[in-house]
Amino acid sequence: MGQTLPVTDLLSTPVRPADGSDAGVTLDDFRPDWSRVVDPGDEPTPADLARAHAEAERLLADHGVTYGADAPDGGAHPWRLDPAPVVVDEPEWTALDAGLVQRAELLDAVLQDVYGARRLLTDQLLPPTTVLAHPGFLRQVDGLRMPGGRELVLTATDLVRDGSGRWCAVADRTQAPSGAAYAMEDRRVVAQVMAGTYRQASIQRLGPFFHALRQALRDAAPRESDEPRVALLSSGPASETAFDQAYLASMLGLPLVEGGDLLVREGRVWMRGLDGLERVDVLLRRVDAEWCDPLDLRAGSRLGVPGLVRAVRAGTVSLVNPLGSSVLENPALLAYLPRLARTVLDQDLLLPSAATWWCGEDASRQHVLTNLARLVLLPTARGTDGGAILGWTLGHRERADLADRITAEPWAWVGQEPVGPAGPVVDGTPVGVGSDLPTADGVGPADLGPRAAVLRTFAVAHRSTYTVMAGGLARVAPQAVVSSATGATAKDVWVLASSAEPVAETADEAPAETLVARVPASGISPRTAENLYWMGRYAERAEDRTRVLRVVADRWDDFHARPASVGGRALTVLLTSLTPDALPTEHDGGTPSGPAASASDPAGPVASRPAVAAPPALRALALDPRREGTVARSVRRLGACAAAVRDQLSTDTFGPIARIERALRDERARSRTPRSASSAADLRAVTAGLRPALDGVLEGLLAVAGIAAEGLVRDVGWRLLDAGRRIERAQHLVESLQATLVDQRAVTVDRLVLESVLTTHESVITARRRYQGGARVPQVLDLLVLDRTNPRSLAYQLDRVQEDLAAVPVAGASTDQRDHLLGDVVALVEELDPVAVSVVGTDGRRTRLAETLESMRWRLRSAADEIEKVHFVRPAPGQALEDLWDAPA
Amino acid sequence: MTRTYDLVHRTTYTYAQPVTDSYGRTTLTPRDVPGQTCLATTLDIDPAPADTAAHVDYFGNRTTYFGVTEPHTRLVVTSRSTIEVSRAAEPEPDRLPTMPWEEVAESVRHGVATADEHALVRLREALLPSPHVSRTQAVRDFAAPTLTPGRPIGEVLVDLAHRIRTELTYRSGSTTVHTTQDQLLAQRAGVCQDFAHLMIAALRLHGLPARYSSGYIETRPPAGREKLRGADASHAWVSAWAPGAGWVEIDPTNDQLVDDRYVLLGWGRDYHDVPPLRGVIFTEGRGAHPSVQVDLVPSGSDPFV
Repeated sequence: MGQTLPVTDLLSTPVRPADGSDAGVTLDDFRPDWSRVVDPGDEPTPADLARAHAEAERLLADHGVTYGADAPDGGAHPWRLDPAPVVVDEPEWTALDAGLVQRAELLDAVLQDVYGARRLLTDQLLPPTTVLAHPGFLRQVDGLRMPGGRELVLTATDLVRDGSGRWCAVADRTQAPSGAAYAMEDRRVVAQVMAGTYRQASIQRLGPFFHALRQALRDAAPRESDEPRVALLSSGPASETAFDQAYLASMLGLPLVEGGDLLVREGRVWMRGLDGLERVDVLLRRVDAEWCDPLDLRAGSRLGVPGLVRAVRAGTVSLVNPLGSSVLENPALLAYLPRLARTVLDQDLLLPSAATWWCGEDASRQHVLTNLARLVLLPTARGTDGGAILGWTLGHRERADLADRITAEPWAWVGQEPVGPAGPVVDGTPVGVGSDLPTADGVGPADLGPRAAVLRTFAVAHRSTYTVMAGGLARVAPQAVVSSATGATAKDVWVLASSAEPVAETADEAPAETLVARVPASGISPRTAENLYWMGRYAERAEDRTRVLRVVADRWDDFHARPASVGGRALTVLLTSLTPDALPTEHDGGTPSGPAASASDPAGPVASRPAVAAPPALRALALDPRREGTVARSVRRLGACAAAVRDQLSTDTFGPIARIERALRDERARSRTPRSASSAADLRAVTAGLRPALDGVLEGLLAVAGIAAEGLVRDVGWRLLDAGRRIERAQHLVESLQATLVDQRAVTVDRLVLESVLTTHESVITARRRYQGGARVPQVLDLLVLDRTNPRSLAYQLDRVQEDLAAVPVAGASTDQRDHLLGDVVALVEELDPVAVSVVGTDGRRTRLAETLESMRWRLRSAADEIEKVHFVRPAPGQALEDLWDAPA
Repeated sequence: MTRTYDLVHRTTYTYAQPVTDSYGRTTLTPRDVPGQTCLATTLDIDPAPADTAAHVDYFGNRTTYFGVTEPHTRLVVTSRSTIEVSRAAEPEPDRLPTMPWEEVAESVRHGVATADEHALVRLREALLPSPHVSRTQAVRDFAAPTLTPGRPIGEVLVDLAHRIRTELTYRSGSTTVHTTQDQLLAQRAGVCQDFAHLMIAALRLHGLPARYSSGYIETRPPAGREKLRGADASHAWVSAWAPGAGWVEIDPTNDQLVDDRYVLLGWGRDYHDVPPLRGVIFTEGRGAHPSVQVDLVPSGSDPFV
C-alpha cells in the first residue's frame, strides 16, 4: 500500500541492549533486526513487508476488525497493523515477566486493602486522599470480597522504553483491560502474512494466557456452583473496543451479553433466554464499574443491571474485575509503588514506573509546578479532563491556567517525567506554536522521538500467581500520545523462545476444549435472537435486490436504446414494477417526466418515456448506503447485525460481508451516475460496471448463505436466521408477483417480463425445462407459488418458516396470532387455482390474482410483526424513580 | 432526660401504567449514635418484595435493598421506628470550641487533628468535593464574610448557619436534586438539602471537614392548635468537625444546633450517599411523582395510619 515503513523499532530489544550501566542506548540501537528471528539471507525485503502490509489490511477488513464507536456515519475505523513485529529477547522478557507478576501481586494487595482494612491509608503508606478522591473508589462495594483469594484478576500495564532502553511502566489498566483479543488477532494475521518468517522464528505462544484466563474465570465463581456459567458483560456494539469484546467472548466460548440481557431476581443474576431465565455465576466485565448498576451506582445507566451490586454482595455472582478495581488506575499510585512493594511484599519493586509526582503532597506539587514546562500532566481520574497534557506544548497563559487548576484541586493531578527512547530533551529547542510562545522558561523535550511506542502487557491471576501473556499489544504513533482513537498502529509482539523448548504448533489457535461450560444454545437472549433474525432478513433483502437489479440492468443494456421495441416495452414494465424507486420523480433534476409529461406529449412513445426522460438511478439502488432498501444499505445492516452477535458466528462470516462492502465501495468510487439523459453515453453509463459489481455482491451473499447453511448447527440461533431469510423471501416474492403479473400486456412483452421475473427468483432454468411451450402466468404461479420442491417458491418458504418457528422456544407470549396468520397464507396457497386466477378481466387486470396476492401480502407483513412481538420483546429500559428531594405530602 | 419518638415515613408512588419490576434502596432506618438509640424498627413495602437485603454501608448507615417483581401500579414504602433521643435539649453555641478555624484546617491537613488513624481518614474524606458539593468562586465569595482570619471555629459554624438562614429563603419546590451551589446562590432560595450542601461546601473549601446528615425534626404546632399528623418532612443538616467537640451537628435551615427534637437517619458526603429512597422501575409508561408523609411524634401518641 506504499506505506512508509518505520525506520526505528522503539520496542524491540535494542541492538545493543542496556547493560545496566548509565551509558544508555541511542536511537540508532532501535532498528529492526531480523537476524534475531530468521537466518541471514531470509530477511523480508521492503517489498515483502509492503506486500504483507497490504495483505494484513485485507485480512483485518475481512475479519471486521475495527476500533472506535460504530456510529451510523462510520465512526469505527479499520484496525491498523504493521506486520513487522516487535521482537523481544527471552532473557529480557523473563525479567519483565517477573516484574509484571510482582506488580500484579502488589496491585492485588493494594486493592484488597483499599476495600478492606485500609491499613495502607491509616498507616499513611498511601496518602488517604489518593484513594478517597478517586472516582474509581466505589464506597458502595466496600468490604466485598471475591471468592478465590484474588481481587485483581486481570490487569494490563502500559510500558515504554526509557532513555537507557529499559522497560518502564507508565500506566496500569485495572478497570476492564482491553486489547488482549486485538493482540490475538494481530498474531493470527501476522502469522499468516509473514508466514515464512513466523515459521522460522521460535516464538512463545499467546494461547497459555487465554487458557489461564478461562481458568481464572472459573476460579472466580461463587463456591456453590460446580459448573459455573460465565458470560462477558459487554458495553455493546457502540463501544470503541466492541471487536475486542466480541472476539474475546468467542475465543473463550462465552456468551456476549449486554446489561439489558441480564436481570437480578432473588439476589442472583439471570440471563434472559428465549424460553426463560438462566443463572449467571461470573461476568467478565467490560463495562466500567460505575455504569454497572443504575440502582446502586450511576443512576440512569443503561449499560448496567439494577441490583447487580446486591447480587455481588449476596455472593451469588462474581465480577471480573470486581467493581471498584479502577481505583488502581490512579497514576498517583505510581509514586508510591516502590514504598508499597517494600512494606506489603517485603521486596524491592522490580519494574520501575515513570517518575511520577502526586500533587496532593506539598513537595511534589512544588516540583510539578516548577517543572510544568517539561512534564506530562495527568488527571488522576482518567477520562475526566481529556487525558495527558504535555507541559511543553502549552503557552504561557495555558500553563498559568493549568497551574491554577492544580493548585485548586492538587489531589486531582500528577506530573510525570516524559519517557522515551530519545530521552527527554531538557535543553532542546523550545517547542510550541502561537504568539505567546514563552521566551525564558519554554524549554522542553523537543520530541519524544521519531515515534512514540507503547507496549500493553496482560496478566491474569492463575493458581497462586499470575500468568503474563507472552507478548502483548504494541502500538506506535507518530505523535507523543499513543492512542488507538487518534490513529496508533498496532504491532504484534514476538517473544523469542529458547530453541531447547519445543513450541506446540497449534498453541496459538483459540483453545479448542471448553473449560467453561457454555450456556445451552437455547440460552440466547432476545437481543441476540433479534439480531440473528434480522441478519437473515438483511442478507435475503440484499440478495433479492441484487437479483432484481441484475435482471433490470441486463434488459437496460439490451433495450434502452430501442424503447419502442418489444424489449424496450418490457424494460419499461420492469423498471416501473420492480425498481420504481429508481425512476426520477417529477421534481428530480428539473427534467419533466412521469405521466403528466407523457400525457402532454402524445407524439412520443409513451411507454418509453420514463426510461428516456431521465436515466433510472439503478446504480444508486445498488450502491447508495444512505438510501433505504438499497443493496448497500442492506449489506451494511447485515454487517451491523453480524457484528452484534459475533460470538455466535464463525469468523468466516465476516470475510464475505467485508468483501461485498469493499466491492460496493470501489464501485461507488469508480464513477458517478449522470444527472440527465444528455447523451447516449450517459444512458449507457446507467449500468456501466454495475453488472460485474452485482455479480461480486451476489457471490459474497451466496457465501454468507452457504456458511449459514453448512457451517452452523441447527440450533435456535440458526432457526431464527433461517426464519428471517424465509419471511423476507416470501414477502419479496409476493410483492414482485403483485407488481408484474396482475396487469396483462402484449403477449410478446409479457413473455419477456415473465422470463425476467423467473430469473429474479432463480427459477428460469426449471421453467424452461418444465414448460417447453414457454411459461405463461399460470405456469409461473405454479412454479413460484405452489411448488413445494422449489426452494424459491412461496410454499417452500412457508414450510420452512413454520418449521423454524416451531423450534424456537417462547416464554409467556402467545404464538396464536402468528401461527394463525401464517396458516392463512398456507391456506391461500393451497386454494390457489393458477389457471382460474389468471383470467383477465375486461379492464386488462387479473383481479382475483390481485386480491389473493394482496391477502397474502398483508398477512405476511402482520406475521412478521407478530414474530417481533412474540420473540424479541425486551423490557422497556429501566427508569430512575423520582427523587424524594422535595416531595409533597 | 430522654425523649422517645414514634416515627412513620411513608412514600407512595402511583403509576399510570403497570410497573413490572421495581428495584429500590432505602436509608430509612435510624442508626444508633451517641445521643440516639433506635429501639424498634420495621420497613414495609407494598407490594411485598420478592427479595430484600439489609446491610450497614460504608458510612455505617443502615440500608435496605428490595426488589418487587409483582406487577403493580402503586408502590408504598413505609418505615416505622421508635427512637430514644438523649441529646441536650438546649445545646449552647457558646460552648463550641474556640480554636481559630485556620488552626483546625492545619491540624487536619497535617494529620495531627486526631490520634485515631481511622478517624483521620474520615476527616480527610470530609474535605473533598463530592457529587453534590463543589468548590466554586461563588461559594468562596459567600463564605468570605464569615471565614475571617483567626475567627473561632464555633463562631464560624454558628455564623454560617445564621447567614444561610437569614440571607437565603426557604422555598419548597425552588430546587431539584440537580441544583448546584452556584444556582442556589444566584436564586437565593432553596430547601434544607441545598442549605446543608452550601454550608458543607463553604467549610470544605476552607479545609474544614464537613458531612451531610439525613433525618427529621419534630415540628410543633402553633400554640392552641393541634399538630397536623403526617405533615412532617425529611430533613437535612450539617455535621462539622471541631477539635475537642468532634462532629458538631448544626442545622442551617433553622439556624440552630441539633437538639433533642432531631432524629438522625444517617450521614454521608452529601445527599448522594444517603437519599431516603432511590429506585429503578420498569414500565412502558412514565414514572410518577412521589408523595411523602412523615410523622414524628412523642412515643405513645395515637398511631398515624
